[in-house]
Amino acid sequence: MKKRGIGIGCMYYGMGYGFSRPDVSAAEVEICEDGSIIVRSGEVDYGQGSDTIFCQMVAEELGIRYDTIQLITADTFATPNAGPTSASRLTYVTGNAMVKASRAIKKTLQSVAEEILGERDLLFLDEEIFSESHPERRISFRQLAKEGHLRGLPMVETAWHDITTKDVNPETGQGDAYSTYAYAAQLAEVAVDTETGEVEVLRIVAAADVGKAINPSNVEGQIEGGVAMGLGYALTEEIKEEGGYLKTRNLGEYMIPTSMDVPPIDPHIVEVPVSSGPYGAKGVGEPALIPTAPAILNAIANAIGVRVTELPANLENLHRLIREKERD
Amino acid sequence: MQRFQFYNPRSVEDALNFLAEKGERSKIIAGGTDLIPGLRLEEIRPDFVLNIPEINPFRGIKEMDHSFWIGPTTTFTEMVESNLLSRSFPALVQSAASVGGPQIRNRGTIGGNIANASPAADVLPALLAHGGELELQSKRNGKRIIPLAEAILSPYKTCFRSDEILTGIILKKLELGTRSAFEKLGRRKAMARARMNLTLLLRLNHREEVSELRIVPGAVMPVAKRMDRTERMLLGKKPEPLLIEAASKTLAEEMVEVTGARWSTEYKIPVLKNIFKRMMKQLLIV
Repeated sequence: MKKRGIGIGCMYYGMGYGFSRPDVSAAEVEICEDGSIIVRSGEVDYGQGSDTIFCQMVAEELGIRYDTIQLITADTFATPNAGPTSASRLTYVTGNAMVKASRAIKKTLQSVAEEILGERDLLFLDEEIFSESHPERRISFRQLAKEGHLRGLPMVETAWHDITTKDVNPETGQGDAYSTYAYAAQLAEVAVDTETGEVEVLRIVAAADVGKAINPSNVEGQIEGGVAMGLGYALTEEIKEEGGYLKTRNLGEYMIPTSMDVPPIDPHIVEVPVSSGPYGAKGVGEPALIPTAPAILNAIANAIGVRVTELPANLENLHRLIREKERD
Repeated sequence: MQRFQFYNPRSVEDALNFLAEKGERSKIIAGGTDLIPGLRLEEIRPDFVLNIPEINPFRGIKEMDHSFWIGPTTTFTEMVESNLLSRSFPALVQSAASVGGPQIRNRGTIGGNIANASPAADVLPALLAHGGELELQSKRNGKRIIPLAEAILSPYKTCFRSDEILTGIILKKLELGTRSAFEKLGRRKAMARARMNLTLLLRLNHREEVSELRIVPGAVMPVAKRMDRTERMLLGKKPEPLLIEAASKTLAEEMVEVTGARWSTEYKIPVLKNIFKRMMKQLLIV
């Protein structure tokens, strides 16, 4: 018989490393003579989309198109250290470095533009710099970049952002371990086949507080990807080991969900800005994944009254629990 | 990747000549979905690989007077898309549809599924339930036809001789009113090795008694086979719930007689019983 259930999973998660562990990130923004931009940072985009949002941040600060930016990343020979892509920290830590470096170089550009245009109320918008009160007084970003170079001004800025926190009290464990926290909640609807132990996840509704979504469709993608991983974690993924040897040797044996297994996902972006984040933003990488398994396990409990305490809740494990319950 | 010679025969005769000479050092490739991983893992080390999908007489599905003929290099996708097969052998088509994912189904072939003889083959149990026969050909002995039930000796081992090619699969037409069902249990919905599958064929007479029953579980025994004892329990009787319950117990016993008790038995026994009862119920509602 198939039985349906609904479950909720909630989480909060400390951004970055916390507990006094060094958590720093650098970014370097250079404006070339032709007005094009080179950004260097040790950050690694392994698919989550950080390259895109860093270009967006620099473009936002300088009033230029984000596709005019050339990004050089993850090269210890050429880029300043940004720390690892982990702990859901890149948007929050490296993002701040990006904004800081952009603002520093913007200050230099602003002083040149003030001198040329004779106005101080300047806006950087759509590749132009103009006076808000006298909009006819304007200069293209490209021309301004050239003027900066002609004056021999520093057209490259490096920024370093540090979110290292104090440690908690070692005796009481009390204190504020992290710079900030992310929050997320998910709902899962499942159908459990009591005859085989098979669990079908029918739907996931996932809400994540990201502070500010720098790129909303990117955030949705992160949430959907996180849910798919959480689904595998809950139901199928298992590393088998025997006497120190790995028995699960390939992706034919390590069962990640296929597109056929991933249910409709309804992502909700919650934006409660955090003052310490760039534009109020914080990370979503792990927060998108963490609530999925508990939501699914709670849904299973809701459906058949069986508590799963060991992962994965695969065919054999779940059916054993169902049989044990029937025996009682 | 190891080295071997790849031979592309132009005709059936060409292929048979090749095997007559080099059969013992050769492997036949159809879709390659099993052979290529085997080559990569160096589980097999052939000197020659004989490529047969481009031989026309090996392809297609034909209706004869009393049977159907399926070419060995017919892909699972071609089986799934065949109206002829869907009308006549829906359970077999369902089993073909349960293979891997679209890419595997586009490459993998029915002949390969038989010749590879994996205990977890998706299509084998359904073919067994349908009483499939195999047409084999060699230069030395010409054609011979054997029941599929006798072709597989042990996991990954068939009775095919090294100079033989599987040239066709023959399925007798089912009697009118035969009902069939297939179910596969996997760890996920695609790209999953069967944890267990079950094919049932059932026909009732005018008194609602079982006049024919074939039960073939897959992926639970080293070699899939019909469960004779359970079938006989129901033959000639009305399939009442109590009898089906008793038959499900016998079915599980028959399986354990073959496999012995293993770590997975405590799961397989109740689940095989459950799936059997559920599918019988479905077939009887029709």
